[in-house]
Amino acid sequence: MTLFRKLWSFAYPGFSFSHFHRVMATRTLSVMPLGNVTLPSAISEALALTLIAQGAEAQIYFSVEHPFIPATYLTGTNSQPSAGYILKYRPPKRYRHNALDAQLTKHRTLSEARILYKLFLAGISVPQLIAVDPRQGLIWMENIDGQSLKSWIWAQETEMEERQVDEGEDAQAQKRVHIIKPVLLAVGSEIAKLHFLETVHGDLTTSNVLLRDSSRVEAITVTFSDKPMVKDPVIIDFGLAQQSTLPEDKAVDLYVLERAFISTHPIHSEEYVEWVLEGYVAGFGRGKKTAMFKVNEIMRKLDAVRLRGRKRSMVG
Amino acid sequence: MPSKQEPATCQQRPTVALGLEGSANKLGVGIIRHFPPPPAGSGQRRRPAEVLANIRHTYITPPGEGFLPRDTANHHRSFVVKLVKDALKTSGLTPHDIDCVCFTKGPGMGAPLQSVAIAARTISLMWNKPLVGVNHCVGHIEMGREITGATNPVVLYVSGGNTQVIAYSHHRYRIFGETLDIAVGNCLDRFARTLQIPNDPSPGYNIELLARKGKHYVELPYTVKGMDVSMSGILAYIDQVAIDILNGNPRYADDEDGGGGGKTIITKEDLCFSLQETIFAMLVEITERAMAHVGSQQVLIVGGVGCNERLQEMMAIMARDRGGQVYATDERFCIDNGIMIAHAGLLAYGTGFKTSLEDSVCTQRFRTDEVYIAWRDD
Ligand SMILES: Nc1ncnc2c1ncn2[C@@H]1O[C@H](COP(=O)(O)OP(=O)(O)OP(=O)(O)O)[C@@H](O)[C@H]1O
Ligand SMILES: [Mg+2]
Repeated sequence: MTLFRKLWSFAYPGFSFSHFHRVMATRTLSVMPLGNVTLPSAISEALALTLIAQGAEAQIYFSVEHPFIPATYLTGTNSQPSAGYILKYRPPKRYRHNALDAQLTKHRTLSEARILYKLFLAGISVPQLIAVDPRQGLIWMENIDGQSLKSWIWAQETEMEERQVDEGEDAQAQKRVHIIKPVLLAVGSEIAKLHFLETVHGDLTTSNVLLRDSSRVEAITVTFSDKPMVKDPVIIDFGLAQQSTLPEDKAVDLYVLERAFISTHPIHSEEYVEWVLEGYVAGFGRGKKTAMFKVNEIMRKLDAVRLRGRKRSMVG
Repeated sequence: MPSKQEPATCQQRPTVALGLEGSANKLGVGIIRHFPPPPAGSGQRRRPAEVLANIRHTYITPPGEGFLPRDTANHHRSFVVKLVKDALKTSGLTPHDIDCVCFTKGPGMGAPLQSVAIAARTISLMWNKPLVGVNHCVGHIEMGREITGATNPVVLYVSGGNTQVIAYSHHRYRIFGETLDIAVGNCLDRFARTLQIPNDPSPGYNIELLARKGKHYVELPYTVKGMDVSMSGILAYIDQVAIDILNGNPRYADDEDGGGGGKTIITKEDLCFSLQETIFAMLVEITERAMAHVGSQQVLIVGGVGCNERLQEMMAIMARDRGGQVYATDERFCIDNGIMIAHAGLLAYGTGFKTSLEDSVCTQRFRTDEVYIAWRDD
């Protein structure tokens, strides 16, 4: 029996929906399922699930209920994330060969769960793992209440653009330094912690970083007392993550993120990347000699990877 | 670099461009006609571009051999005059009817690019027509959009030299994902060389034919990094398996349900099949990731590998499961051709763009996102 089904037998039917509305109010609204892939009915029938996102690989469902611990158990314990739960489902991909599909789904689901667990224990800002069923491609985890870094940056930029006329270029630039920079420094430093543990993400983009709403005390990072509070970045989507001690792999990770900035946030990407890397170096180094050596090596590799990138388009 | 960037001029009459392409082993000459847009508010539909000629000649090397820059350039030099004459004849036009001469500025192999650029300059001076330098990748994208009617798709550009996932925003075709080492077409071509498969009509097409007969899936490395892929490790691995097989050391399929009891021998058809299944799955995956990332429902496949029907089929299944649509073209427009250069060049020319003689040097490195797309304002 799979772990998931084992856990499943605990499912508790009489759950109260008391904080459903509070939680849902801050979530994006449900999305329509695309095409014809849906969750195994055993799960969709047992729990009230809302499809809230359709990533490239996975469908993301939100649930108020814990998948197997009764709510009465959870109230009053601090193991209860206030924001509800997420079920990440990797449906079979019909375009690829069955054997390849089964292997990829199992491998990625299992590896994502393992890495989430390890990173969470190490104190990295990632969703807490709750349960996993690799064959079915199912992962339960804690819901992170807040929008993605991508939509947050877009929203900030749109807002600034709208005020551009009255405020002028300089004021805009200052605003970015004030509002966006601290968040990106924090993102860089979180990635540094990840890399410090010899873990590479494999798909660093601005959609794979969520900004937790700082409604909870522990969700707030106060860098300096006189500075504004910074939204706490949470890294998600570890399906392509790997253990690696190679500086090269970390450099590729950063390069992938850099390119995501250039393609997704083109106007100020240079500035943004600079801030992320600033946070990265700071998060890595903190004055220690071996760490500084490591991060310098990664930065050197990053230059090499970039150069390779530019050379690549040699043949038409 | 662009020499002149005049304000957008709306052409009031049809315009015609000659396009010359020779960035790799294909020499292509095309002639295209654009019509002026219908008056605003008239409710009339835009008249699609008209292909007046689209002629290609490919430099084919013996099995096991790739094409070298010098020989390829020689090929282009020997055929370009004939192809231009043929194109004029097919179109029924005279040099007088041509508005501009478009050529591939890059990216590509240096010597072949230069040989064709020289031809373009000569024609431009002879006929006294302006030159328009075109980015090869932008040519592929614009031709794909024109032929298929896809408006704002995520583009998978897969060819012998390029593997890119592209989406448009703010007047540029931005590269979301690409290969971290060799291009997919290059990977297929090199594997074809290992297997000593003929290069006629193209190594990739011959692999596709063999793959259709393959049955057993051999597990290969699968290397996706976000929206990027890497192919060299896969090629090295499968090359080794192929070499073993060719040297008379058979490999066996490890299928549980095949009933072969582990005695089914892996054939080169199986290898072609497995290679395609693996690398195409990677390409579809990164395309889907880009679609999810930018929130698009359309996919356009361009470039030589885009003719592969298995790739098109896989992409179509993915798109359907996302509630989207796939757009692809056939061999005439997918494989390098002159018409796409004429088309993209004429789009730029329509906004007042010209390339001066001094600026008409080719560049081997010319990234898709370097081009300012003045003709789109969405
Ligand atoms: N723990 C979580 N809490 C809240 N929202 C989440 C959580 N996990 C995922 N999401 C939402 O679902 C989206 C897709 O999730 P995720 O990136 O894990 O899936 P994916 O399909 O693998 O993505 P990709 O498209 O990058 O391959 C995220 O961008 C985010 O909006
Ligand atoms: Mg994601």
